[in-house]
Amino acid sequence: MSDTTPGAPLLEVRDLHVRVGGQAVLKGVSLSVRAGEVHALMGPNGSGKSTLAFVLAGRPGYEITGGSASFEGRDLLALAPEDRARAGLFLGFQYPVEIPGVNNAYLLKAALNAARRERALPELDAFEFLSLVRAKTQLMHIDESFLGRAVNEGFSGGEKKRNEILQMLVLEPKLALLDETDSGLDIDAMKIVANGINSLRTADRSIVLVTHYQRLLEYVVPDFVHVLAGGRILRSGDRSLALELERRGYDWLSEPAAA
Amino acid sequence: MNVAASMQRSEILDRVLHDYRGVADSLPGGGSAHSARERAAGQLADLGWPSARDEYWRYANLRAFERSVYRPATVSSAQSAATLSALQRQGALPAPIEGFERLIYLDGVLVAGARSAAQSDTQANGWDWDWPAELRLGLLCDMFARDAARLYVHGTAAIEVLFLTSPAAAGAAVYPRLQLQLAAGSQMQLIERHLGDPEAPTLVACNVTIDMGRGANLRHYRLQQCGRQIAFTDTLWARLAEQAIYNVRGMTFGAGTARTSARVQLAGRGAGVDWQAIAAGRGEQVHDTALKVEHGAPDTRTDETFRGIADERARLAFSGRIQISADATGSQAHQSLKGLIEGKGAEIDLRPQLEINTHEVRAVHGATTGRLDENLLFYLLSRGLERQEARTLLKWAFLGDVLRSIDVPDLRAEAERLAAGQLPDVPALVALP
Repeated sequence: MSDTTPGAPLLEVRDLHVRVGGQAVLKGVSLSVRAGEVHALMGPNGSGKSTLAFVLAGRPGYEITGGSASFEGRDLLALAPEDRARAGLFLGFQYPVEIPGVNNAYLLKAALNAARRERALPELDAFEFLSLVRAKTQLMHIDESFLGRAVNEGFSGGEKKRNEILQMLVLEPKLALLDETDSGLDIDAMKIVANGINSLRTADRSIVLVTHYQRLLEYVVPDFVHVLAGGRILRSGDRSLALELERRGYDWLSEPAAA
Repeated sequence: MNVAASMQRSEILDRVLHDYRGVADSLPGGGSAHSARERAAGQLADLGWPSARDEYWRYANLRAFERSVYRPATVSSAQSAATLSALQRQGALPAPIEGFERLIYLDGVLVAGARSAAQSDTQANGWDWDWPAELRLGLLCDMFARDAARLYVHGTAAIEVLFLTSPAAAGAAVYPRLQLQLAAGSQMQLIERHLGDPEAPTLVACNVTIDMGRGANLRHYRLQQCGRQIAFTDTLWARLAEQAIYNVRGMTFGAGTARTSARVQLAGRGAGVDWQAIAAGRGEQVHDTALKVEHGAPDTRTDETFRGIADERARLAFSGRIQISADATGSQAHQSLKGLIEGKGAEIDLRPQLEINTHEVRAVHGATTGRLDENLLFYLLSRGLERQEARTLLKWAFLGDVLRSIDVPDLRAEAERLAAGQLPDVPALVALP
């Protein structure tokens, strides 16, 4: 049952423990994201950031050994990945996969109509879909010819990331988990991507940015910044924490901050 | 090994030859045709029946052929005519392909289409191909065939040959035969299509010979959609002169057992073959192809692609052997074989083999067999697609490259329909892009 109380968390992760291949990767992560908030999740390599994003999106191969995660009050971990997506959760991949033979436009339309069915909205016909998607491709500086190409096949790293954001703009999720969307982008591409993300910022939508660097946060200003290291959130703060991390690195955070 | 297996092979050969002796005098054609048949029977006797111990036949379901009756179906022309009109009345024949002249062979004999165009006859001309051991099942056709589609192409031509096996052939054998000669500089589009669904086990043993002159260009679409009671074997041998280009689009969907044995000789400088094939099997189907390409001249080129999906308990195999001789400097060979196992009891065996006897070549080969890529599946699920739809989309995409390369729109649509019929959940998505 959905919990739509104003101010109630959209995403509530409590004491989440996850093992991968027998190794504990997340060791008690708690995170609360309310509607309209932008959170940045930072941390060194191997700290568990991508694991958290994958676990929340439902990727198989992770053993959840403790804790919980809810989305609008529903037990997120009990849902299949496709149900999580249709409920309004979007994962922007760090390494978007290439799918030869599957047409970009087909995927976008199928995904959009799946989301619309979930919201009890009528499916879009080809004409309506194209007009919707055209505006979004322009915003992302993506040539329309990309729609006719196979998903991510032959795309450059930057094009793949822009394509992820295009998908997000088309699907208009309630919660976007963007896993290192900024990695591999030059400054111009970063601005385009940031522009796309910002265009989706509304009072009823939340964004979790997983990133190594605070550069993206200059363009998408977060409300909260968390540092994940060794499978735990060591510190949370506002934007100034990201700037401090930029100056001092991660080593000084050896002890968890006081609540 | 065994003496028992050897004896068994010898018994099968005896049975084949016995069936041949029983009908040899009644088969059509003059003295030279008879001599050619005798010669083929002698060659088969010398070569012996193939053994699964031989690498070349390892994945072939030889048992299905060993159980066959080799006596050719003898259907009277009146009966054939009646069968053909019944099929036409029922709308059971595939829709004509625009721009293609159609020839129809029923149980191995021409029943519709212009004989002038087909040059179809039973004379011995063109029967001078000495089938090597790996193509020995082609000899069955030389021995037993009652007719042949013999096509001489000058200029340009677009011909569709339907090889139909009628219910009247049930329990016997049918020998479709296709002989092509392309004059220098000629261009041909050829659709070779095998279909029919008899109610009892029936052997269809086809052979195809292709002789391409200098600069000739052939686009050859091969579509096998026989019923499950058919044990199907086809043997193809193509010889290419200088600058000749041979494009094959092979689609194997039908028959209980199907074996393709093929040899392509790139005999002239600059000759090239582009062989793209798909197979989709389900149930207990066995689809096996052994293709050998011989680069015998400089600057020759092979592009070889195979995509196979095995569902349920189907077994698929593709063996692609590319031999590059010492003379074939500057040659290029590219081979990509991929198999997708969908069924719990399914099996796929891919064997890429490159034999290179000169340094100046560029050769790339790769073969992978596996189940649907979980990463791709998760990506689609994470976009909200239903699991079934996501799986279907990925399976369809797997065959997509080859299907999209069929540049005759009507045929492509037909091939897509047939492929969809072999993939349990695809029909719901027939309108895929």
